[in-house]
Amino acid sequence: MSIEHGTFVQKYDLLGCIQCGRCTGGCPVTVRTDLNVRRFMYDTVEDDRLEELSEKPEIWDCTTCNTCAIRCPKGLEPFEVLLGLRSMRAEEGNIEPTARDALESMFNNGNPWGKPAAKRCDWMQDIDGVENVRILEPGEKADVLVHVCCTAAYDPRIMPLAKNLARVLDAAGVDYGFIGEEEKHCGSEARRLGEEGLFEYFDEENTELLNQYEVNRLVTLSPHCFNSFKSEYTNLSMPVLHYTQLVAELIEDKKLELKNEIASSVVFHDPCYLGKKNLVFDEPRYILSQIPGMETAEFFRSKERSLCCEGGGGKMWVESESKEQRLAETRIADAQELGAKIVAVACPFCLLTLEDALKVRGLEEEMRVADILELLGESL
Amino acid sequence: MGDIFVLAEHREGELREVTLEMLTLAGQLGGNVVCVLLGSGVDDYASKVAGYSDKVIYIDDPIFANFNAMAYQAALSELIKSEKPSVTLIGNTGQGVDIIGSLAVELEVPFTTDAVAVTLEGDKPVVTRQYYGGKINGNINFKDADTYIIGVREAAIPAGEGGKSGEVAKTANPVTAEITARKFLEYVEAAVGDVDITQSTLLVSIGRGIREDKNMPMVEELAQLMGADISGSRAVVDAGWLPTDRQVGISGKTVKPKLYLALGISGAFQHVTGMKGSDLVVAINKDPDAPIFQYADYGIVDDLLKVVPALIDKLKEMKG
Amino acid sequence: MNIVVCVKQVPDTSDPDTEVHIDGTGRGVDQSKFSFVINDADNYAVEEAILLKEKHGGEVTVVNIGGEAANQVIRMALAKGGDGAVRLDDESFVYSDVVATARLLKSAIKDLGCDLVLTGCMASDDGYGAVGIALAQMLEVPHAAYVKTVEVVDDKKLKVGRELEGGLLEMNEIEMPCLLAIQTGGNEPRYASFKGIREASKKEIKVMDLAATGLSADEVGESGSVAVMTQYSVPEVGDLAEMIEGDPAETSAKLANILKEKGLV
Repeated sequence: MSIEHGTFVQKYDLLGCIQCGRCTGGCPVTVRTDLNVRRFMYDTVEDDRLEELSEKPEIWDCTTCNTCAIRCPKGLEPFEVLLGLRSMRAEEGNIEPTARDALESMFNNGNPWGKPAAKRCDWMQDIDGVENVRILEPGEKADVLVHVCCTAAYDPRIMPLAKNLARVLDAAGVDYGFIGEEEKHCGSEARRLGEEGLFEYFDEENTELLNQYEVNRLVTLSPHCFNSFKSEYTNLSMPVLHYTQLVAELIEDKKLELKNEIASSVVFHDPCYLGKKNLVFDEPRYILSQIPGMETAEFFRSKERSLCCEGGGGKMWVESESKEQRLAETRIADAQELGAKIVAVACPFCLLTLEDALKVRGLEEEMRVADILELLGESL
Repeated sequence: MGDIFVLAEHREGELREVTLEMLTLAGQLGGNVVCVLLGSGVDDYASKVAGYSDKVIYIDDPIFANFNAMAYQAALSELIKSEKPSVTLIGNTGQGVDIIGSLAVELEVPFTTDAVAVTLEGDKPVVTRQYYGGKINGNINFKDADTYIIGVREAAIPAGEGGKSGEVAKTANPVTAEITARKFLEYVEAAVGDVDITQSTLLVSIGRGIREDKNMPMVEELAQLMGADISGSRAVVDAGWLPTDRQVGISGKTVKPKLYLALGISGAFQHVTGMKGSDLVVAINKDPDAPIFQYADYGIVDDLLKVVPALIDKLKEMKG
Repeated sequence: MNIVVCVKQVPDTSDPDTEVHIDGTGRGVDQSKFSFVINDADNYAVEEAILLKEKHGGEVTVVNIGGEAANQVIRMALAKGGDGAVRLDDESFVYSDVVATARLLKSAIKDLGCDLVLTGCMASDDGYGAVGIALAQMLEVPHAAYVKTVEVVDDKKLKVGRELEGGLLEMNEIEMPCLLAIQTGGNEPRYASFKGIREASKKEIKVMDLAATGLSADEVGESGSVAVMTQYSVPEVGDLAEMIEGDPAETSAKLANILKEKGLV
């Protein structure tokens, strides 16, 4: 990045910062790491310090959970400064090898997981009760076009989410289809790993592809894809929904009937990119309340104050040095205290991090982590 | 079929096994097995390889005390020109690969590398090689020639018992000119404790199934017996049982050992992605549904705390 | 120090799920579903070249044999710090074996007047590990294979560490000009950012066809080759893990034997 005078000052409105400290005060990773986002808001005013600041390891601790932005009284987005510093590193090519490999795979394979593009639709085999998965050709008409996130397409643990979404949409008689092998990474994690250029490439490529479909809306499985398509893409011509929004609508319109009882107590963990970032709080809770037999509880820290699972912000590929307890473990401990038997999520990353934390704490027998889509699948 | 040359390989006072493997292969091909031994004061190797050869050409010269590609190439080139073997087999190893291509180009001899099988069609060798990381095989068709050079993969052909007793012909080095463009300096062992698991040949990798810190010595004993390094899953690193740089997976290291022995690792996608390049995967896990078995070549469904001690005993027994 | 680094574009077949299907000719594979990347070892060679340039000055020229699609890996190397590039591209180059490939590379390199030629030690698709060494012989320069460490002694000499089985480093002194076939793991290849690659596409890639190489048609491709792969076949392998049954004494004994047979213990 060419550092011109006031590069960061203008881009991130740094002079608007009043150094009140609400950002750092709410930052969930401060209990684990040295990250002090308020200091970065202050220090990055000086252009000649940017290089040095970009080399601080803690810029990679941020999970981009949006807490600092939601708490900022001046409406700033402090964490974006950290992404700006990351992008300086990425442009110089000086990033963690794990991040490098993820980014190279995004470019080469269209997904960050190092998996072949040709295998993107393998999850579509053997979907219980769904005979034909429809893949839409560009130009084809449908009500709903589904974007399956890279993680759901390739991680065997997450594939059931995509399968259940197909089952739910089938059961509700929705006119929908998938993109198929042409589907690519949304770019969200590219941007979080500091690769603005690569994000712009995905914005262009995906927009060109998606705008060819004659569909009423694009529905995503992951809140991260949802956020990128909805808020960060520049020319996407269709409305974007997270699946919880569509499913809530289907239940309300009595198109989807949830028959099977799940007699259990459930607590919903708000995914940052659905909740804090896009203020979708009610739909997931509404869906859970409509599953027969389900008792719902709330975390003490929920909705705008929800605790991050540390799966976003590129953190799936970059570890923190810290050996302090992961936030996901804290979250599981909180759920255990509430007496919840199910921690419900609506995000692939949350599912992975929280389930891992549950195993670390040895609670496999007592509790489970499940995506709302899995619960819907059980309740159909 | 005329003579089959086999280049003996030795390093730091040890005759390497690939030599016996190639001599066995040469015997199977049915030619006159001639072992070429370039060394300095290695009469004991000469008698050892004689047990697998019809003849040993032994050049005893201080220049061959340690491997030097240029010295090796010069001597081999003269020997091949004068003795005219039908085929020359060279180990496809750190030493062999350093001479095969240049020797063959110098002599204008058809050659190939990394053979996993060699057969004959008349007097002409047919070589089977692996492509795309072993996903498919391919056969090599040589241009007709009087002689061929073939690099043979280590451990592809098991060494037999020998049973020959060839004469050892001590020969003077046909090359007397000094080699100056490349000089051997020394061997440097990878520092102990300075393990880079991305470079490890053998990995014993542990997961949550290890359960407690106090089971670590057992794993260490196994690894030491096998000459393997220890790696692990994120959970084990989180627990502080292994340092951060031993973590395998999407947020750790990507490893590609010859053997990945997964002990008590369930095999989450994020872990498996970091070890997918391993040649052979063996998984021991008490959960028969653990995803790791989908990536394993061999699996044992059992408690690792029972299998590992038994395996340690067996390996000790084998090593005598 | 002027350096030439040879790079090959290969299909990324590292993932166990990537299937390789033999095509109708039996001599090729279905490439339609592959994604293409720089050969792993070549990526380390590029990094070594850039590190040497950063420390000792000079220029880095990237040399490749491939079609237009290979510009992707060339630009990546240029984005990382390469100064110029040559791509050898002609229909007649298809089916070139190690010797014909080395001959082609020589035609592009011989007049560049470089001090050092770097290649990867092996390509991940065909795995010969011999092109660099054959090329060195053709260029009449000394070489070293499996090089993991490179140190400049003076403007005539390098000290290189060759990685042998078991990780042992064989240290050598070698005179320049020379060729080093670089092993993976000796450095940490940097990331080429998307923007960097785009900017690198402004740098010229010189394209050489058969006429430009000065070679005749019977020196390249299959007719210029001495050892050609003529028939692919599918090896027999089981899809699923072979489960070893029995009590711990039995399973451990069986496992120990398997490891011994495979030369792993």
